[in-house]
Amino acid sequence: MKNQKIKISTKNLNVFYGAKQALFDVNLELEEKKVTALIGPSGCGKSTYIRCLNRMNDVIDICKVEGSIKIDGQEINKKDVDVNLLREKVGMVFQKPNPFPKSIYDNIAYGPRIHGLADNKNDLDQIVESSLKKAALWDEVKDRLNQPGTGLSGGQQQRLCIARTISINPEVILMDEPCSALDPIATAKIEELIDDLKKTYTIVIVTHSMSQAARVSQNTGFFHLGKILEFNLTEKIFKNPDNKLTQDYITGRFG
Amino acid sequence: MNNKEKEIFLRKRYSAEKRFRFFGISSIIIALSFLCILLINIFTNGLSAFSRTEILLKINFNEKKLGINSSSTDKEIKQANFDEVLQDALLSLAPNAPELKQAELMDLVSIDATTELKKFYLKNKDVLNKTAEVAVTLSDDIDQVHKGNFPRDIPEDRRRFSDFQLKIYDEQSSKNKIISEFNWPFIFNADSREPEIAGVGASLMGSFFTLIVCLLLSFPLGILAAIYLEEFAPKNKITEIIEVNVNNLAAVPSIVFGLLGLGVFLNYFYLPRSTPLVGGLVLALMTLPRIIIPCRAALKAVPPSIREGALALGASKVQTVMHNVVPLAMPGTLSGTIIGLSQALGETAPLLLIGMVAFINVVPSTPLDPSSVLPVQVYLWSESAERGFVEKTSATIIILIFFLAFMNSFAIYLRNKFEKKWS
Repeated sequence: MKNQKIKISTKNLNVFYGAKQALFDVNLELEEKKVTALIGPSGCGKSTYIRCLNRMNDVIDICKVEGSIKIDGQEINKKDVDVNLLREKVGMVFQKPNPFPKSIYDNIAYGPRIHGLADNKNDLDQIVESSLKKAALWDEVKDRLNQPGTGLSGGQQQRLCIARTISINPEVILMDEPCSALDPIATAKIEELIDDLKKTYTIVIVTHSMSQAARVSQNTGFFHLGKILEFNLTEKIFKNPDNKLTQDYITGRFG
Repeated sequence: MNNKEKEIFLRKRYSAEKRFRFFGISSIIIALSFLCILLINIFTNGLSAFSRTEILLKINFNEKKLGINSSSTDKEIKQANFDEVLQDALLSLAPNAPELKQAELMDLVSIDATTELKKFYLKNKDVLNKTAEVAVTLSDDIDQVHKGNFPRDIPEDRRRFSDFQLKIYDEQSSKNKIISEFNWPFIFNADSREPEIAGVGASLMGSFFTLIVCLLLSFPLGILAAIYLEEFAPKNKITEIIEVNVNNLAAVPSIVFGLLGLGVFLNYFYLPRSTPLVGGLVLALMTLPRIIIPCRAALKAVPPSIREGALALGASKVQTVMHNVVPLAMPGTLSGTIIGLSQALGETAPLLLIGMVAFINVVPSTPLDPSSVLPVQVYLWSESAERGFVEKTSATIIILIFFLAFMNSFAIYLRNKFEKKWS
């Protein structure tokens, strides 16, 4: 872990939903162009954590985020940070595929359009094509770009959402249990894709599947009751965890 | 529980199920039969109003009697007196009638008959000094007899037409001189004191203008209010109060909106009385909450994941709502709006208060002309004594129901079409 550049670091991150505290002093440093998996039992705060990284928690009225979140050394947990620009840099893929009720083409073109990334139709066509190719969806949909994105299968929809996320060329991709609604074949495709994407992007993935975390990630963090109990190389965590609770969780004794 | 007890228990469960089905089906049948009675009643009364009865008269367009000649301008023809040639034609139906009966002959045809003759002449100027057979509208009494709406066997002194008139009618009828035609004047004419020439044209146009004003005002206002309340407004005491009051407003009796319109639009702003403009304003007030409520419900039904997806891409709040949420909420909003408008179309009470109940005998050409609307026309004609207005009342209801059914089916169509497309 030594010579790697740190992309995201959080210090003393505390999150409250009203009176209830969801995260307690989370200190994490996530490496650039690596896949970091966050595991832990339901309700442990891992989704809350990654939603802090693109300030999606702003949407929830009662949610209060305290502490420091730095991306490339820049504090983002401040009032004067433009969240729209932040989210252009930090994309997110959700648990349930949520394509827009638009055509496949427009699903991908939406981000570049609102951020003014394409000067003309040609540029846009190119962005759409390259995004779909990166998401390994191009061959399946190239003949029906004008059909609704909602008509695709679940796995295709999720890859469409990933293509949509990379269409605006983010630096970080957050994935909140991206495979939990998918069948094993679709899951395998997405995992393959994640492996490919880590060459270009820093990826943070929340997952309930131990095997998935083991397969796709280089680093793993174990959350429990809003605290980060252990954070280390994935190999280390799965073979020889320091914490007794981590061991129990990984081996399926609780959670 | 032994086997026997279990069997009894099962039987009870099944009979309860059967009872429930029976009650359900019978209530549907009862409701449907009420609807059928209503529709059958309206249609049996009203359908005959869509035809009108005419008599073929041999008219001699004598240039001396008309006071015109072949070089007369259209204006001169319009001012010419066609009474005499009409009289001659009517008198010829019973050449030996005593003078007393001659007036009854004149009453056989509508008072509009001379105008019809003028129109015929303007189209066929070559009939000057010739005799031509012209179809002339019969008076409403004979019209009703012809349609079988008026029993002819009641004593002469208790009906509005005499035995003599009846005899002439029968004679002409047997000579096939009495004809029926589709009643276009009923669709295009304005109201009249004479049932045979009264039409719903003015109230159709009035309803149209009123709905347009109502739509133009209530649709944008309602949608903007709903979007702001649902997507942008902070959730606090003030928005809570607004929300409760929007719901209350939807339950306010419509006549109250009429009073408001009378007090504000007419007495304070001095807007023209009896006009579709004011009617539309009043109905817009009434329709506003009926658009806001379904529009908010439709927005609420849009899955939050769509909003999150757009926000996570860096779309601003307005972009998220306008590009992704509103299009999904549109079918629900549109069908809500159409249903709100169809309620406005059937509204009577508030319009009575702002003077749209006046007798209007010209078809309005702008929303600023005094006018009536379809439901008020029903109300006006239902109070008229003449037998001819009975069928007109029902026929107007048929037209109203037609438009309501059309609008509501369109709303259902929109909802189904768009919901299927994206789900």
